[in-house]
Amino acid sequence: MNLRDLPAMAARVLVRHPARSGLMLLAMSIGVASVVVLTSLGESARRFVSDEFASLGTHLIMVSPGRTETSGVGPSMFAGDTPRDLTIADATAVARSRYLSDVAPMVMGQANVSWGGREREAPLLGATASLRRIRRWTLAQGRFLPDGDPERDSGMCVIGAKLRKELFGPRRALGEWLKVGDRRCRITGILAEEGRSIGMDVEEVVVMPVAGALALLNRPSINRIMANARSHELMDRASEDIRQILKKRHQGEEDVTVVTQDALLATFDRILAALTYTVGGIAGISLIVAGILIMNVMLVSVSQRTAEIGLLKALGAPREEILRLFLVEATGLSMAGAFLGLAIGVLARLAILYFYPVLPLTWPIWAIGAALATALVVGLAFGVIPARRAAGLDPVAALSHH
Amino acid sequence: MIKLREIERDFAVGDQVVHALRKVDLDIQEGEYLSLMGPSGSGKSTLMHILGLLDHPTAGAYELDGRNVTGLDDAAQAAVRRNKIGFVFQFFHLVPYLTAAENAELPLVLSGIDPAERRDRVAASLASLGLSDRSGHRPDQLSGGQRQRVAIARAMISKPSVLLADEPTGNLDRSSGNEVIHLIEDLHTSHGLTLVVVTHDPEMGERAQRRIHMIDGQIREDNRGSAA
Repeated sequence: MNLRDLPAMAARVLVRHPARSGLMLLAMSIGVASVVVLTSLGESARRFVSDEFASLGTHLIMVSPGRTETSGVGPSMFAGDTPRDLTIADATAVARSRYLSDVAPMVMGQANVSWGGREREAPLLGATASLRRIRRWTLAQGRFLPDGDPERDSGMCVIGAKLRKELFGPRRALGEWLKVGDRRCRITGILAEEGRSIGMDVEEVVVMPVAGALALLNRPSINRIMANARSHELMDRASEDIRQILKKRHQGEEDVTVVTQDALLATFDRILAALTYTVGGIAGISLIVAGILIMNVMLVSVSQRTAEIGLLKALGAPREEILRLFLVEATGLSMAGAFLGLAIGVLARLAILYFYPVLPLTWPIWAIGAALATALVVGLAFGVIPARRAAGLDPVAALSHH
Repeated sequence: MIKLREIERDFAVGDQVVHALRKVDLDIQEGEYLSLMGPSGSGKSTLMHILGLLDHPTAGAYELDGRNVTGLDDAAQAAVRRNKIGFVFQFFHLVPYLTAAENAELPLVLSGIDPAERRDRVAASLASLGLSDRSGHRPDQLSGGQRQRVAIARAMISKPSVLLADEPTGNLDRSSGNEVIHLIEDLHTSHGLTLVVVTHDPEMGERAQRRIHMIDGQIREDNRGSAA
């Protein structure tokens, strides 16, 4: 038989048995679509998180009080009581390290914010001028907190864009006195809209000098020290330096956790990659199910077409040709299902983008390739048994089959 | 052209062995018209299957056009079927989802003939059998006689030298049956086709120039010449 005629013959069989082919096509396409969509979601979540981290800067080192055995995301990262607290003085000491370009002490809390009779609760961030450089914030209006002694409260503050809109509406906010808790501060700047950033909504935040924030929140110690290494290569040395400085200041006890951006990112990356593989694998099972369905339907098809197969043999089709014909049928079907599944995936992606425009939905090329390859392998693997059965039929018995 | 020597065919039925053919010797000359008759179970169908290389003899030798085909492998036997042998069956065996033209075309597809030539040959063949206006019909849209004519077109499309017809009229009414048998006989006379018809209908069997009666897997009578 001509190699060109083989797919044409297989296609004709499939087209002229629409119900049977449609069923197998559906199973295959659902399998492929779910693999593609789920891995794409997983991959997108991973990208989303790493983009968020990248926006924090790639030289970032975070110091939190308390010791966790493993580096990475520990409970102490998100505040909490710890044996020995971090202080502004600790941050000032750390700032002397020659491996660091910027160091900012940080305290986080909630406070009531009011102006002109309007009041709401907002996240409060106590920091220093360095924080802007570390987190790469830009300002929509005015200036950020001024440089100066971190132990002193300059009485100034910076607010997020959304908070400004809610409190001031169309009126000018720069230079106004804002009431934060039981203190007052003068607004010197408005942060540019940047969307969410890990752990805090920049659009709603009030940033004030760390000394003022500690007094306002009535806390003795800061939550965290944020620092930028001078270069990416210096990250390890900088971390070690921080540890040594704080150990010396804390009576020789290593009671802080130093986490680098890389370590944090790697942890998230591992978790999310594992998640992606897991959902991809679960979706892959549906491909196998589709394969088993194809096998069953093909087996039924072989027994229904026994007389036809006997005829083909009588007309001079050798065993290998019958085998090829049925294999091409099975793989053609599964590939068609795979491409249909991809199309469904594309539609699903559009739907997801419509409802969640924030998600940077990407197509992991490996997932598309893997789905198509799996579909092909499944079609071949599960097509082999029916095809072999067809090829092995005895022509005399097959022809007398009704 | 066909030479069978001591052909035996045994079937295992349960723990018994049935001898469907017992030491059959048969020579068929090119262009002969031969009928195989006998009661059911006499071995006539088995003999036809062996002649058509659909079945393998348990013992004996089959020589076709001077070539021993008994020991050929599957692919080589398939090639012999493709090129030299045409089949017409009692139950037509048309592929139900293919049109008349596509059914007739099948052997050419299997032979790897290119599509343009296939189209021409199928059209010519269907026209010669009076089926031109039926070429796009599926088998279930055709009458029994038309179906068998499509099957004949399919059997003849590769220009075989032997036509094996297994009860070709067994599933047709009388007039369609006559029509079909005349068609086949015309092919025999006009193309010099070697024709072997298996039948249990004596009236049809008597039409052949050479009539073989089988009983119990053996050739009992081998009559030549006009019987009537």
